[in-house]
Amino acid sequence: MTAPPPVGAPPAVEKEKDERKPAKQKIDPWNVAGEVDEGGNVKAIDYDRLIEDFGVQPLTRAHLDRFEKVTGKPAHRLMRRKLFFSHRDFDKILDYYEQHGQFMLYTGRGPSSGSMHLGHTVPFLFTKELQELFDVPLVIMLTDDEKFLHTRNKNEGQMKAGSAPEDFLNFAHDNARDIIALGFDPKKTFMYSDYEFLGGHFYRNVSEFESMVTYNQASGAFGFNESTNIGLISFMAKQCVAAFPSSYPDLFGLPDYRAPDYDSSAKRRHKELASIPCLIPCAIDQEPYFRMVRDRSERMHDPHPKPALIMSKFLTALQGPGGKMSASDPNSAIFMSDSPAQIKNKINKHAFSGGQQTEEEHRRLGGNPDVDVAFTYLSYFLEDDAELEDLAKRYRAGEILTGEMKAKCISFVQGFVADFQKRREGVTEEVMREFMRPRRLVYGGNPNPVKKQKESSDGWAGAGSEAVGGGEGKEGKEGRGTKGERKAAKLAEKKAEKEAEKLALREKS
Amino acid sequence: MAAEEAVGAPPAVASQVEEKKGTSQQIDPYNVAGEVDESGNIKAIDYDRLIQEFGVQPLTEDHLRRFEAVTGKKAHRLMRRKLFFSHRDFDKILDTYEQYGTFMLYTGRGPSSGSMHLGHTVPFLFTKELQDMFDVPLVIMLTDDEKYLYTRNKNEGHQKAGAAADDFLDYAYENIKDIIALGFDPKKTFIYTDYEYLGGHFYRNVSEFESLVTFNQASGAFGFGNSTNIGLIAYGAKQCVAAFPSSYPDLFGYKDYRAPEYDLSAKRRHKPLSTIPTLIPCAIDQEPYFRILRDRCDRMTDPHPKTALILSKFLTALQGPGGKMSASDPNSAIFMSDTPNQIKNKINRHAFSGGRESLEEHRKLGGNPDVDVAYTYLSYFLDDDEELEELASKYRSGELLTGEMKQRCIAELQKFVGAFQEKREGVTHEIMREYMRPRRLEYQGNPNPTRPASSAPPANGVPAAEDAGAEKKGDGRGTKGERKAAKLAAKKEEKMATRQKAPDGDGGASSPAA
Repeated sequence: MTAPPPVGAPPAVEKEKDERKPAKQKIDPWNVAGEVDEGGNVKAIDYDRLIEDFGVQPLTRAHLDRFEKVTGKPAHRLMRRKLFFSHRDFDKILDYYEQHGQFMLYTGRGPSSGSMHLGHTVPFLFTKELQELFDVPLVIMLTDDEKFLHTRNKNEGQMKAGSAPEDFLNFAHDNARDIIALGFDPKKTFMYSDYEFLGGHFYRNVSEFESMVTYNQASGAFGFNESTNIGLISFMAKQCVAAFPSSYPDLFGLPDYRAPDYDSSAKRRHKELASIPCLIPCAIDQEPYFRMVRDRSERMHDPHPKPALIMSKFLTALQGPGGKMSASDPNSAIFMSDSPAQIKNKINKHAFSGGQQTEEEHRRLGGNPDVDVAFTYLSYFLEDDAELEDLAKRYRAGEILTGEMKAKCISFVQGFVADFQKRREGVTEEVMREFMRPRRLVYGGNPNPVKKQKESSDGWAGAGSEAVGGGEGKEGKEGRGTKGERKAAKLAEKKAEKEAEKLALREKS
Repeated sequence: MAAEEAVGAPPAVASQVEEKKGTSQQIDPYNVAGEVDESGNIKAIDYDRLIQEFGVQPLTEDHLRRFEAVTGKKAHRLMRRKLFFSHRDFDKILDTYEQYGTFMLYTGRGPSSGSMHLGHTVPFLFTKELQDMFDVPLVIMLTDDEKYLYTRNKNEGHQKAGAAADDFLDYAYENIKDIIALGFDPKKTFIYTDYEYLGGHFYRNVSEFESLVTFNQASGAFGFGNSTNIGLIAYGAKQCVAAFPSSYPDLFGYKDYRAPEYDLSAKRRHKPLSTIPTLIPCAIDQEPYFRILRDRCDRMTDPHPKTALILSKFLTALQGPGGKMSASDPNSAIFMSDTPNQIKNKINRHAFSGGRESLEEHRKLGGNPDVDVAYTYLSYFLDDDEELEELASKYRSGELLTGEMKQRCIAELQKFVGAFQEKREGVTHEIMREYMRPRRLEYQGNPNPTRPASSAPPANGVPAAEDAGAEKKGDGRGTKGERKAAKLAAKKEEKMATRQKAPDGDGGASSPAA
């Protein structure tokens, strides 16, 4: 991920803008800046405007209803609360899930030293909970190479201490353990770092995607220039093809071809994987990035469906709307490494309050939960809509004081962070390596898809309507390998055909 | 390699440049064009001029003498005949070999469908013979990804039939079998394609190198523009780090870390490997490419010695000086798929002759072997200097006729191509896969180095145990958990090593000169 550290977190703003001059809202992968009014005040982000500017779709009540119908579960609270508020093709994902029973989730993080904060973890939590609701596979990409290239580029080609490729790989390992501590299911979650994983089918996809992006297009989207290093210029292809299930054959029970094994029966491409769609939960500033992959998915040799996006607003910093969570400012966010006392102090001292100046005024006029940070954080965690609504109502009525709202928030956040820290203790090297091992993922998907998947020779769940290896051999070169390999594959196919025939005969009778 | 089909072969010219009158010579990885005089005649390449322009060094008699002193063998005929005529740091390679006993050879090919021709095979043959003489490891890179990116770029982003990524991987396999048929030693030759091999330490080096090259620098060297695809723009880094032994730990008995094994004790970088220099035999038009590499070797986290080059002229096309060998013109070269008859006809009918118009004139005035293609081809293959000199002098005196020169040449070529084709038949899929398997290579190098390296990985021994402890923080040792595991392993090795160590082993102090 380029400048913004993780998917879903408000990115650190790269340039120090003069915040006093009136300026329009500016949101892209390197800038998150609200409009500045005449008085030099930074206004809250205008998300309706953003939806228009980017041409994305709002997430509506109809979507939530459909979600509930298809999954049989209530729509996720962050959708109900409109933290995740816009999308591209979310309805197509629901269609596909309804018909074929599965899809792939994809998210990622640019590794950095230091703890994650709420701005990172809440979106990851959302992804985890989506994974549970849908029971689908998830890949998490740690972009250690991009961080290296970006850091070096920022330092004009100099490599400072602590910024070698290995350092970012080490950060990736640490971050991986943090992410695991959020409770992802090891059976259906694959995590990887680029430095460790790049190769095989993933690299083949990278190469093809790279051939479809010109320097102009990449610089236009990401602000590169002639002094940008060639690694950074070409990196985006990796982040894009990371959204394709076809980049990870192992996860779906199909062979990859990689040093040093070179499984000679492994196909160069697995066409069936190209039909599985992907859903990417991310913050809305990442949208220009994924526009690049959506514009090219169908031009891949095996056309891929356009990845779907479900996008969030920026999480509110402690200092309230207009502020930014930042890893370098401890008082802008709750960090996963914070102690209970630190959490209490931060909320009490730094969380922007929607209350009135004095208790008497507050009892009389009531407070505004919409700008109250403690309430906002509660809305991220409190599952029960009625309970949350009640809090809001009583706050508006002046029944609940700011201090009480804060106390409730503190309690929740302390619980969340404490659970995390405890789980983090238990994430050993071995546990991490298991998440990072390319292996077949196990998941159920939709228990009642409309189109039942046909039995295939390696029996993995639902690859669209074609059985694995079904229609492949006919059309010219399907990436089947060389003559020697095709010969071996043909023998295997004949064997499978015979078995399928036997099965068919049995089923008939 | 870039637009070229093979290292050392005259490249097919990427852009169709109108052969104007009165243009100067233009040589770079995408153009090989001799000067065009006023009347529109293409002159032969001016190599002295090229040496000056590129700032490379000429290969002199001193170098050849030194070669002989160091290897105990006669300088390779292609150096004696000055087909390989210039270099960078060839003397440093000889120094390293003399003192520490080894270096790595590196060459490559951009895969394409169809047979190789002499323009491809002669340089590969030179490399093979260098490998035999020095007894050193060799890596051969098949740049299937570059060919794919280049082809797609040429077609403005469209992927034509037969030009998908997988097609170039298939061409690579065919080319590899051809290369194997030239007789490379399977014990010390590693051949790979980018699509299969990229990952692990190789990719780590790619990433580091990419961070050292800006768009400006890449475009300056290779003529990229704003419409060039980002894959092609970034590709050069792969071809450059392919020259680093540190990209191939397996070959040297070190561990790589790759999906899916992720060997936990594998270091992220193997510092000792960064001290081994590399020699690249290639045609002189590739030089700008490797200039990019040489300028950055010592800026890697583990500084690498500057890669050495030994550079060749372009092999003469059948039509003589000024002509170009081309895969698309069957009569411009002898192809490895030619039948004996085709060889005979091509030489007889198309090989430019240095002889006179008539038999009588030829007997009287004699012929010019220097422009005679048959003679030139003989000079590539005939090892005996005296025999070759005799042919030249008899031709000059008119004693030897063109037809006879051609006949001699035909016989030699038929033999070479015939032997190749027979060997090619025998190259099975399994044999190919063995060359392509990342495994420890076996080689002796210099049997009498003056300074045997104790910390540089010895040719066939186990890497020194000191290596594990010698690397301090930030040496790419992995994370805490991994370092712990590695420490335990290192302690174990140390125990074993102290039992076997010779008294003067000082682990880590002496390494090949950077």
